[in-house]
Amino acid sequence: MAAKIDLNDDSVVVIVGSGAGGGTVANELAQKGIKSVILEAGKVLSLDDIENDEWAMFSKISWLDKRYSKGSWHGAVNHPNLPAWIVKGLGGSTVHWAGVSLRYQPHEFKMKSTTGGIPGANVADWPISYDELAPWYDKAELKMGTTGAVTGMDHLPWSADFKVLAEGARRIGYSKLTAGPMSINSTERDGRPACQQIGFCMQGCKIGAKWSTLYTELPRAVDTGNCEIRTDCMVLRVEHDKSGKVTGVVYADKDGNQHKQKARVVCVAGNSIESPRLLLNSESNMFKDGLANSSGQVGRNYMTHMTGGVYATMPGKVHMNRGTAVAGIVRDEAHHDDSRGFIGGYTLEKLALGLGFLSAFLVPGPTGWGRKVSGAMEKYANMSGVWICGEDMPQEINRITLHDSEKDQYGLPVPNVAKTDHPNDTNMRNHAYQQMSYIYNALGATEIYNLPAYPASHNMGTNRMSEKAEDGVVNKWGQSHDIKNLFVSDGSQFATSGSPNPTLTIVALAIRQADYLATQLKKGEL
Amino acid sequence: MLYDLSAVKRQFRETVPIADFKLTRRGLLASTAFVALATATAVGPTGAWAAAGVSADQRLTLIRMARDIYPHEDFLPDGPYVTVVDAILKEAEGNDETRKLILDGLADLEARAQKIHGKSYVAVADANMREGLLRSIELGGFFQKVRGGLLFGLYNNKDLYPKFDYDGSSWEKGGFMDSFDKIDWL
Repeated sequence: MAAKIDLNDDSVVVIVGSGAGGGTVANELAQKGIKSVILEAGKVLSLDDIENDEWAMFSKISWLDKRYSKGSWHGAVNHPNLPAWIVKGLGGSTVHWAGVSLRYQPHEFKMKSTTGGIPGANVADWPISYDELAPWYDKAELKMGTTGAVTGMDHLPWSADFKVLAEGARRIGYSKLTAGPMSINSTERDGRPACQQIGFCMQGCKIGAKWSTLYTELPRAVDTGNCEIRTDCMVLRVEHDKSGKVTGVVYADKDGNQHKQKARVVCVAGNSIESPRLLLNSESNMFKDGLANSSGQVGRNYMTHMTGGVYATMPGKVHMNRGTAVAGIVRDEAHHDDSRGFIGGYTLEKLALGLGFLSAFLVPGPTGWGRKVSGAMEKYANMSGVWICGEDMPQEINRITLHDSEKDQYGLPVPNVAKTDHPNDTNMRNHAYQQMSYIYNALGATEIYNLPAYPASHNMGTNRMSEKAEDGVVNKWGQSHDIKNLFVSDGSQFATSGSPNPTLTIVALAIRQADYLATQLKKGEL
Repeated sequence: MLYDLSAVKRQFRETVPIADFKLTRRGLLASTAFVALATATAVGPTGAWAAAGVSADQRLTLIRMARDIYPHEDFLPDGPYVTVVDAILKEAEGNDETRKLILDGLADLEARAQKIHGKSYVAVADANMREGLLRSIELGGFFQKVRGGLLFGLYNNKDLYPKFDYDGSSWEKGGFMDSFDKIDWL
């Protein structure tokens, strides 16, 4: 039933990327009878490709095209070419995500109003509220199979590893301890099996118990006959006509041959590094600073969440690798309360690392060797740890720019990805380190290791939405303020990062955007 | 500051007491074993390392260095370290760039050991002193070549998973349904 769409068919929606945003928009449009072409830079992946091996999967699915880490974060030294750990492949980063599906809290859509603004940060209110997005969150949870009230599916059972964290948390007075919401089936649902506690969630779920567009939205979109997916196709630029409307995209196929796919609408969903990069690379005489960039905000306000890790050696065996990678969440610090020395909040997410990743990230970079590392590894089975995930301050200096001279294999300027902590980020991270030290000491931990941020898997904000055109790139529908038939469908729309993991919100926004697109197309507005 | 950073600072202090770094009886035994290895490899058949233009002593220096990068005293035998070193030497045999990296790196390390301690690297008895020498070259390509090999050879080596009590792949066994929630000490 796969559609075969002509390159000259200018009635179609072209979607750049097949992850949480692009894959969802494509299926939603397909179900409404609207034709689309997905251009995916990566290759076809299937469950057969999934292995329970961290480094093997890292090589197989990661986006490893040349990039530079910049800014003052440690990664500029320790991960000089890996600012972000995201996927290049069919299904995008939904292959790799852990499944955490928290909703943004109402105040997290209104951080400027809530705080009155933060010096040195470009804090903004989203042009939508929680109440406006709530029904779309419901639809997203039903689509993804998120454990909790909307689907009626129980959270997953507590693993030994989460019991350890939860007990320590309980001992210091915390109470918001849950094994969800996760978009991982706890019972068979929607043609996918229940979780078998295999682990290696972030290397791709071997049995498809975790939601990914790879085996849900994408095949369903294709099955309608309204969607064609072209893999190994890197979009080089978006083109426009004299009136300033976009007319299609130019892409390179696997063999490097260039094609132009015409379009009535273009949806950019390449994640928060590639999406702004594509808009910047699409500069023209008419749009000298790149497409959709009259505000100058394309590529700016790059957010990754305020993150860090804490691992500790427990008095007994934990075997953190047994079971889901993120087996539970502590939400006692997720609220906004500036008496803690920072605005916004953070969650503590149980995160299992295997032997391979723990050895590489316990002390990241070239100096990560010696007794501290080897001694920790000898106690691997006793280790437990968390990932800290909190509100990240948007700053204009944190941005995606194009390299002055260096080009990648497609002939496109290599992206520079700059990230520097705002003092709020530093204060929040230190607070989290402190709270985790209380938790692990309460359990009798013999060693505690504070880890800096990993290469970012949560990438947000580089095409932010705004009420006014001068403040951002897209409006509340993800539609460019400057070019009405150009949309952004991924996490780069986020005005602020909030503390929750972004995928659920990306999907909710994508369902809502597809609904808006369908209405506008029907009205002949696009 | 509105919260107590001293709790964090306590965690930043050196986690291994200084006294533990002195040459303990266990350390001496490890050294004895290393000497045995040295004797055996010195008189044993030559391998790829010889073809790479690396002497038996130089190979031994690399093995000592490997053990110092990720020290596992009596937790791991010499075997896994030797495997990593020999794989690098095998590569050096057919790759001029790698050979130069290794030979130049070894010469530099030896020169530093002679300058500071008046003896060759392997003859420096104190593990802390050897670590100090390695810290002075840790950002260079030679050191990182050996470290990179070890990171995979020790911690991404399925043969060694049981040693670390790590299970590795589980999907072919149906996952950890029987064990994921079991804990006996909490």
